[in-house]
Amino acid sequence: MTSPLLRIEHVTKSFDDVVAVDDLDLAVEEGQFVTFLGPSGCGKSTTLRLLGGFEVPDSGRIHLGDDDVTRTPPNRRDVNMVFQDYALFPHMTVERNIAFGLELKGRGRGEITRRIDELTDFLGLADLRARMPDQLSGGQRQRVALARALAPDPRLLLLDEPLGALDAKLRGQVQVELKAIQRRTGKTFVFVTHDQEEALTMSDRIVVMNAGRIEQDGTPEDLYRRPVSRFVADFIGETNLFVGTILDNRSGLVTIEWPSVGRVIAGSTTDHPPGASITLALRPESIVCRPAEPDLANRFEGRIRQRIFKGPRTTLEIEVGHETLTAAIDPATAATLTDDRLWLGWPPEAVAVLRD
Amino acid sequence: MRSGSGVFLSLTYWAFVVYLFVPLALMVTMGFKDSAFIGFPIQNWTMRWYTGVFQDGEVLGVFAYSLAIALSSTFFSLVIGTWIASFLGPTTFRGKLLVFGLACLPAVVPGIISAISLRIFVQFLAIEPGMAAIVLGHTVHNVPFVMLVVMARLSTQPRSHVEAARDLGADALTAFARVTLPYLKPALIGAAVFCMLLSFDDFVRSFFLGGYEPTLPVLIFAMLRSGMSPEINAIATVVLILTAILGLWAEKSMRTSERKTAA
Repeated sequence: MTSPLLRIEHVTKSFDDVVAVDDLDLAVEEGQFVTFLGPSGCGKSTTLRLLGGFEVPDSGRIHLGDDDVTRTPPNRRDVNMVFQDYALFPHMTVERNIAFGLELKGRGRGEITRRIDELTDFLGLADLRARMPDQLSGGQRQRVALARALAPDPRLLLLDEPLGALDAKLRGQVQVELKAIQRRTGKTFVFVTHDQEEALTMSDRIVVMNAGRIEQDGTPEDLYRRPVSRFVADFIGETNLFVGTILDNRSGLVTIEWPSVGRVIAGSTTDHPPGASITLALRPESIVCRPAEPDLANRFEGRIRQRIFKGPRTTLEIEVGHETLTAAIDPATAATLTDDRLWLGWPPEAVAVLRD
Repeated sequence: MRSGSGVFLSLTYWAFVVYLFVPLALMVTMGFKDSAFIGFPIQNWTMRWYTGVFQDGEVLGVFAYSLAIALSSTFFSLVIGTWIASFLGPTTFRGKLLVFGLACLPAVVPGIISAISLRIFVQFLAIEPGMAAIVLGHTVHNVPFVMLVVMARLSTQPRSHVEAARDLGADALTAFARVTLPYLKPALIGAAVFCMLLSFDDFVRSFFLGGYEPTLPVLIFAMLRSGMSPEINAIATVVLILTAILGLWAEKSMRTSERKTAA
């Protein structure tokens, strides 16, 4: 087993009594696309700035490979950053911007030219080399910033919400591009965003942060299907949350009494004993809706209160007992359902038992 | 009512223009009078006062002396003013306001007070009255203007510019020289021209701190005491034209340079 490229050990950072990063502990393997995801103020940007060397932790250590870089200034770390506002040098051409890091590393003229050729070809900037930053579009600036940060061939590339300034359509395109670039370069990317869709699209691994701490750390699929907390379930995608009482908990199946609805079986493990009150999460697209009783462990009768057509999916607001569930089903199936009576159900593994 | 106030405003504006330009026009015109004394009527016109300015070795020498003082005091003011601005700009520390206030003080102390105190100080330091003393005096006076202009520009520079430079391998000094200094260029041009004009125009400090060699304003003052000759008008007109050109050039190059770095 190789040692991880990046190790963050019990790092804490406060600003004027506000704890921005609280005892963060994390290791990142080489070649991963890791995303720190969370709302503003959750500590994700501070974590990135700690990795870049723009902040020094109050306690804890940061290792890059075998080196302790906790107090190494930014200019002596093998780490480069793509800034939120791109921070292109306004008085330099695209080419001079990209060359900046290479010149300071003392690379020869020939090598610098070769590297610029390589990167401008790779990122489709070949025709823009002589332009000034104010003559570029948002997407072009973003690529120049990326080229500039990749030029010195850093061991770790940090990206601080670099897609925030792009319009929605371009953003989707750049997400796919960025992921492809990461694959082709094999570089380790640490990406920061508050946009859950962006995180799901690009990441090999997502670290959800809240109030300076790691809320959950896993693959995009893990996080989506198996959120561990209310915060994660709520933050990533749409979800139905409901509270019930544990009746039985054995062999990987938890039986829960959901007041006014009935018994729900969840294919999950939990430490909570019978009698405890717990929160469950259920994704709208996991709910199956049928005119007749389905063959599923969890099945209930309900009434449709509202239908919302959303193109590929139709969203139904369904009244079950005194509760309301949101289901997302395909429009063809929705057309076969009558509003005042339908069956809905879901398999046990669709239900996630949350810790809070 | 609205048009009434409009008429009033435009009248006062034109009154102001007349008040501003008639003396200047008179001064320029009198430089063409073929007589040893100024005053109407002008019977004969001549160019001799103007050509005389460019042939008068004393006037040219004094002009060069004033220019040398302006250039050197501007250079020192830019260096010191930028240094204080960079020091005060990004950091917050206890007593920052005090340092800022002290740095601004020379701009608001009355010229005569500052001139007398500088004279005493220079004597105390055993510096002979003359060029070094005048440069010192002008520098002290000009530093606050440089500092204020540079601080204003510095506050518009995104923090990420310097961070990006540091991230790419620049130490603090290299980042300042290669990223911050070019960003400050329009402010530095503006401050430099302003300092040049302040220094070139200064009478009180130059008078108190000067030795036997006069600066241009001091020379003009001395000439005035021996009578209003049209030569004075000619000298003043040449200075007027040169400073106007310098001011306009600074304005233009500041604009273009600011536009270039606006991205």
